[in-house]
Amino acid sequence: MELRRPAPSPLVDNYVVPGDVVLDLSEMNNQTIKLGAGLRQECDTIEATSAGKLRQLKPNKYCIENSQKRYKPSVEDTVLGIVVDTKPDNFLVDIKGPNLAFLPVLSFEGGTRRNIPKFKIGTLIYARVVKANSIMNPELSCMDATGKAAKFGQLKDGYMFDTSTGMSRMLLSSPTCPVLEVLGKKLSFEIAVGLNGRVWVNAPAASTVILVSNAIMRSESLSGIKQRAMVENLLERLS
Amino acid sequence: MQNSRSATVRLPVMEHLRWRPTVNERDFIECALQSDLRVDGRHSFDFRKLKITFGREDGSSEVQLGETHVMGYVTVQLVQPYRDRPNEGTLAIFTEFSPMADPSFEPGRPGELAIELGRVIDRGLRESRAVDMESLCVVAGKHVWSVRVDLHILDNGGNLIDAANIAALAALSTFRRPECTVGGDDGQQVTVHDPEVRDPLPLTIHHMPIAVTFAYFGEGNIVVLDPTYKEEAVMGGRMTAIVNSNGDVCAIQKAGGEGVMSSVIMQCLRIASVKAADITSKIKKAVDSYTTEKALKKVKRLPTSVPQKINVTNVTMDGKGDGELEKQSVQMHSDVQQISKGDENQQSIKRNSPLTRDRIAKHKQTSTFIGGPSNWDPYSKGVTLRSLKISDLPDPPTMVKASSREDAQPMTESSNAEVNTSSAVAAGESESHEIGSPKSLKDAIKPKHKRKKKKSDRS
Repeated sequence: MELRRPAPSPLVDNYVVPGDVVLDLSEMNNQTIKLGAGLRQECDTIEATSAGKLRQLKPNKYCIENSQKRYKPSVEDTVLGIVVDTKPDNFLVDIKGPNLAFLPVLSFEGGTRRNIPKFKIGTLIYARVVKANSIMNPELSCMDATGKAAKFGQLKDGYMFDTSTGMSRMLLSSPTCPVLEVLGKKLSFEIAVGLNGRVWVNAPAASTVILVSNAIMRSESLSGIKQRAMVENLLERLS
Repeated sequence: MQNSRSATVRLPVMEHLRWRPTVNERDFIECALQSDLRVDGRHSFDFRKLKITFGREDGSSEVQLGETHVMGYVTVQLVQPYRDRPNEGTLAIFTEFSPMADPSFEPGRPGELAIELGRVIDRGLRESRAVDMESLCVVAGKHVWSVRVDLHILDNGGNLIDAANIAALAALSTFRRPECTVGGDDGQQVTVHDPEVRDPLPLTIHHMPIAVTFAYFGEGNIVVLDPTYKEEAVMGGRMTAIVNSNGDVCAIQKAGGEGVMSSVIMQCLRIASVKAADITSKIKKAVDSYTTEKALKKVKRLPTSVPQKINVTNVTMDGKGDGELEKQSVQMHSDVQQISKGDENQQSIKRNSPLTRDRIAKHKQTSTFIGGPSNWDPYSKGVTLRSLKISDLPDPPTMVKASSREDAQPMTESSNAEVNTSSAVAAGESESHEIGSPKSLKDAIKPKHKRKKKKSDRS
């Protein structure tokens, strides 16, 4: 017996505001709906609790994408954090959230009590969120699920700047965003994007880093075509 | 375990939200500056984009210098001058560092940066005598104008002193104070005119001291102009030079621990004088455009010429006079209506006779109103007479009934009511009918009385 696909919400890919009814559960039967960020169940209806664009990630999973400066921790997000304090068991890391995050000293590849890494205050860390509850401090890890360091760890040199969370999500989207595409053709640089609205750029020349960072910062309020034009304009100015 | 950890480790919220530079950021900013590169793409001696806007009221301004946002507001008050300077007004600068500007700003108690900013701007404006204080004197020793400049920091993007100074200058340039007149018998009484009665007066500003801030990096070897908040977090020292467009140095403030050579300071002063001339022209351009726009708004209100204005005012006055006269005539009409006696009516007629032809017509209308009571008189008189006559007739039978039984009293009341209704019905009939009416009333009373007796017996 094949279950019919659930009818999608008519508000998908539209802007919703808090209080909008996204789904009516009384009209659905024997279907499981997964709620992401920004949605809440109110008796038989699913309502939005934050303003943004409604997304349907899977046939039965919904969330609201919004752009803000305060990061709300979520499990399996990759974030850029700044070490603000070191404790015997944890590093306290600022991830632009409501609370500081804990980074256990043993959450590195091959980490044991004998080879605890020594981070100064202000060190930039690329990490993964493994625990995120609203009543506790979030917990980070510098390993992936299999225990490998992969891309996580300390980021040396380079320049880190702040953007909004929407900008970060755009930079990490599957079809490469126009800014990174055009910049990648002309320049060679290394970039790490955290979902908490932080971007780290590194390149051999300082002028390249400055150009890339300014291009990314300016491209948030531009459309795709204008982004390409802006980047090409900056590149012409450089040469 | 984790709960206890979070309880013990939790830091103050303000401290946690404070912006901190990373090691990477600090190193990169210094490395880029050694190559004469700045992280936002500017050159070493470039200002960020300056934008000056004004509010609806005179004396309020908003200045945006890149991401730094400052609002300035000017107010005046008549106060008693200081004893040592009886001929001069006062100028005071107040700063308000809003927590909205930066998480490290706390409401209430001003921090070091707030005190320094207020004092540097105050020194630049007051001690260089940018604003003429003697023109603010109204009565020497008794009444002078006190000018107060409030500066609100709305967003801290670095280099607050320059933005706040420009906001103060722009607000003072557009401010208008009310005009005063000194008079009275002893020549000491002050009349403050409303801005609508007399145009307010601008302040007398001799020159504009412009604050230009430099940041020093790497033992004073590297100098940049207009540092951002990121560069401020990394810099070793800072210097603010307050210079006017004539090249005069009004004030210098050196902050931070880094030592700077005198040759570097002289170079900074030369750069500051060039930048001060540029910023002064921008401020004057913005103030002129605002003043022109406001003057245009004033002209639009009264597009007609001066003589027509006078005629318009005369017409309005005539209209008011007519309205008042009409009101008086209406009152006279009401008085006439209230008077119901013939003699007073004649007197009112005599009073109305000297009025104009239009009022003669009104008088005719009043004559019709005078006729009103005459219609009412016979009816009321008839009613009173008939009620008196009818009330005498049932008196003996009611007395007899009352003496016989006390319970009969409500019956008598109802019978009286019936009598009244019957009298009302009989009002339109002729006299012959009136003679017959009492008989019918007597006949009506008797059977009802009998019926009620039966009811009482049954109960």
